[in-house]
Amino acid sequence: MTDLRRSPMHDRHVALGAKLADFGGWEMPIEYAASGGGVLREHATVREIVGLFDVSHLGKVTVSGPDARGFLNRCLSNDLARIGPGRAQYTLCCTDQGGVVDDLITYLLGDDQLFLVPNAANTAEVVRRLREAAPSGVSVVDQHEDYGVLAVQGPRSADVLHRVGLPAELPYMAFVDATVQGRPVRVCRTGYTGEHGYELIPTWRDSPAVWDALAAVVEEVGGRPAGLGARDTLRTEMGYPLHGQDLSPTISPVQARAGWAVGWTKDRFWGREALLREREAGARRLLWGLESLDRGIPRPHMAVQDSAGAPVGEVTSGTFSPTRKRGIGLALLDPVVGEGDELSLDVRGRPSAVRVVKPPFVESHVR
Amino acid sequence: MASVPDDLKYTAEHEWVRADNNGSTVRIGITDFAQQSLGDVVYVSLPAIGSALTQGDAFGEVESTKSVSDLYAPVSGTVTARNEDLDEHPEAINADPYGAGWIVEIELSEPDQIEELLDPDAYGPMSG
Repeated sequence: MTDLRRSPMHDRHVALGAKLADFGGWEMPIEYAASGGGVLREHATVREIVGLFDVSHLGKVTVSGPDARGFLNRCLSNDLARIGPGRAQYTLCCTDQGGVVDDLITYLLGDDQLFLVPNAANTAEVVRRLREAAPSGVSVVDQHEDYGVLAVQGPRSADVLHRVGLPAELPYMAFVDATVQGRPVRVCRTGYTGEHGYELIPTWRDSPAVWDALAAVVEEVGGRPAGLGARDTLRTEMGYPLHGQDLSPTISPVQARAGWAVGWTKDRFWGREALLREREAGARRLLWGLESLDRGIPRPHMAVQDSAGAPVGEVTSGTFSPTRKRGIGLALLDPVVGEGDELSLDVRGRPSAVRVVKPPFVESHVR
Repeated sequence: MASVPDDLKYTAEHEWVRADNNGSTVRIGITDFAQQSLGDVVYVSLPAIGSALTQGDAFGEVESTKSVSDLYAPVSGTVTARNEDLDEHPEAINADPYGAGWIVEIELSEPDQIEELLDPDAYGPMSG
């Protein structure tokens, strides 16, 4: 195993008895089992109260210079004309073939400065592509270890921010710069759980102190730290795609129904021609939700068959839904498949019945 | 630290075996170390009563939120009881792996196999 990078909260995780694993080259907590957590309890705590996540493995990139906004708008899929300063936007970095190098969040500070949060494993590649394309005067700075990212997610999240003195009254996808205990923190109304929540961006150095302040208040209101295991079950219940599984260089946004994150009327962005062609022709497969009708649990790469036994696709994400208490998954399926169809999964050689549904599997509370 | 009770036998696949007094039937389950490694158990698939098991062969599965693990028969024999409570309460495997989280009982077809299993002293170092 190569050397894994560590978050500034690493010692906190170890002290909390976290089970650690490799996430995109980073050694991060899956769950805090030894401290009485575990994926199911952490998941329920986020849905019912509030959870505190360390997601400092996520990338951080500053793009700045004259009309950096215009430059990024000619690269990334979503239309930066749809938002103003102080707003964030979900967007895609596509290949010329329409595949997805990464899905990321763009924070618009102004026409000359933007901040990107790509996935950990894809940050270097996103930076490389942007640098290669950047006009002189526009700089692309990889700040992976300049900032931490802490997520406070759940119905009590606004209360947690109030109690540490951070602004909480922000519309969904808005952000503002503030301070906690004199330390600068960017407060963003974003998340990956489907609950009302925030992602906080302190400096790398300040992150442990900000974590400690948040952890104390989270505990006060009955919440707990939550690991990336719960983050995955939470996002799967919302049907949010995970890059590398439901979106990838071979799974286009048209197939993954992420077309809402594409600025179709823009005259330039990476992958535009291929994606327009695919949208016009119709995708050869589409991402659907699957809900188990028996005790089977969908897992990535399981084959999906119709009632006659003909192959119709493959599972891309799957887990046991702690909220619904049944197997759920996302699958890329032939266009002949429709909502409500009953299909069969190959669960290690045994058939398991599933129904085709439109995610989310659990009501969203992000707004 | 994972607990390793003194009165049980173990396998390298992190299963435990409890022999009853006359030694003809054993109760089996997965160890504390195994349940900790798996995380929250959400489903256990068990063999039917009367199933014939062969030592070392997979006979069921334990599924957590994130992964699936096979159960391997620690001994050969016939399934005489299965823990039906696991159907509704698979979390018993996490809460009480050596008690309420037991998995099946097997009537031994080759009683000598018990002697080949690992003692707590031999298994302990494998569970750290």
